[in-house]
Amino acid sequence: MISPTPLIGVSIPMLKIKELINHVAKTCLNILITGETGVGKEVVAHSLYAESDRSENNFVKINCAALPETLLESELYGYEKGAFTGAHKKRYGKFLTADKGVLFLDEIGDMPLALQSKMLHVLQSGEFSPLGSDQDFKTDVWIIAATNQCLEKNIKNKTFREDLFYRLNIIKIDIPPLRKRPEDIPALVEYYFKKYLSKYPQTQAQRPDSQTMARLCSYHWPGNVRQLQNCIKKQMVLNSWDKIFEELPDNASPSETSSSEDLFQAQLAGSAMHSPAFPFDNEPGNQRMRIISEFIDLSTSSEKLFEDISLKKIKKLASDKVEKEVITFVLEKVGWNRSKAAKILKVSYKTLLYKMSEFNVNPPIS
Amino acid sequence: MANPARLLIVDDNEDILSTFYEFFNSFGYEVKTAVDGFAALKILRDKPNYFLCLITDLVMPNITGVGLISIVKNEFPDIKTIAMTGYGDHPGALASEARADIVIFKPVDLFKIERKVAELIGRTED
Repeated sequence: MISPTPLIGVSIPMLKIKELINHVAKTCLNILITGETGVGKEVVAHSLYAESDRSENNFVKINCAALPETLLESELYGYEKGAFTGAHKKRYGKFLTADKGVLFLDEIGDMPLALQSKMLHVLQSGEFSPLGSDQDFKTDVWIIAATNQCLEKNIKNKTFREDLFYRLNIIKIDIPPLRKRPEDIPALVEYYFKKYLSKYPQTQAQRPDSQTMARLCSYHWPGNVRQLQNCIKKQMVLNSWDKIFEELPDNASPSETSSSEDLFQAQLAGSAMHSPAFPFDNEPGNQRMRIISEFIDLSTSSEKLFEDISLKKIKKLASDKVEKEVITFVLEKVGWNRSKAAKILKVSYKTLLYKMSEFNVNPPIS
Repeated sequence: MANPARLLIVDDNEDILSTFYEFFNSFGYEVKTAVDGFAALKILRDKPNYFLCLITDLVMPNITGVGLISIVKNEFPDIKTIAMTGYGDHPGALASEARADIVIFKPVDLFKIERKVAELIGRTED
């Protein structure tokens, strides 16, 4: 097993989180970890597990956003042979593999409502049954859930069950974004620099000098620790902090909120008619615009822009893009075994080969 | 006074906290306060056999009242627990499940709580 990342930080909120972990890890009470993407929610979950009495048993992670509803359900609870078409053999679910250990529910805010009900029932009764089975299994898992969403808001929007929220939120650990604790940055830089130095022993990469460090500390890090980590990894190869700064998105307040229809319209009109450069990073509409800009050149004039927007064309471009990623993802998971991948993707072998060549998906050269 | 009635009161609302403090103090209780579950847990672990009763709000940052009551019932089973909630039924139900001795809904009647506390810890007026 790869040794897990330690929780790094010297800022007051991070010290308090470490102290809290130390005080509650042995209680095994349900914990909800919140914070923006990339702040280190999984690192906190791992620290809790490492300090608990369950560290000899499994730490099982499941991403509730990455799987479609039916697949997520069978991943969680397992299934009996013949439970549904394609269930050729019995499969144990995460609840069983996490028994006496930890079940880490990442992106809990994206769990579909039907599964939230089932999850609530399991947490209340401590029992579950695999799909297609009439047997109930007792479960002894420690639930640690994480999300970057505001679940209180989701409750108001009726996309998250209030009763499940209170059951998960027995202890809450809220990790502040990196921009609110810049004093942690030097320690993080040092940690990842050392880590990657051992991975890339030939690198000539220079550590940041004091001026560069000051720049690193004043950047707003919308992608938080993960983004900083990637920058340091890049430095191993590029060995140019200037280049790295050039590639960072502009310093502006980050926005995770979704945009309103009006704002989008206003932006679209404004940008198309008056200015070629799009204000990506300072308006709440930036996420939508960023997605759109992947498929349409937004810097053209409005007439040209509207000519370019064809739903059919964009649909093809978008679905190709996603298909390519999914195919690569599955192929990587199955060690580039194409017949296995075709089965998982539920397409014919021929279709898969065709799509691989169309999207230029090739196995890595080893 | 042989055995002072020691209370730990936990609420993230400082106004409520000081009202409770004044009130119970005037009744001769020895009162300590904490602004959240984590602060309360540290006090409890620091003085394991000190408090007779815990009065806690339920919805708080870091360790919620439900979490605090669960921990107290496991680690300090002799301490009596009173949960106060103002957030609908769910936290209250979870507090009962965590074996809180009494769950009361806000707004609370301080005199009533005092009588309950006295009852729970077997305090007689003299």
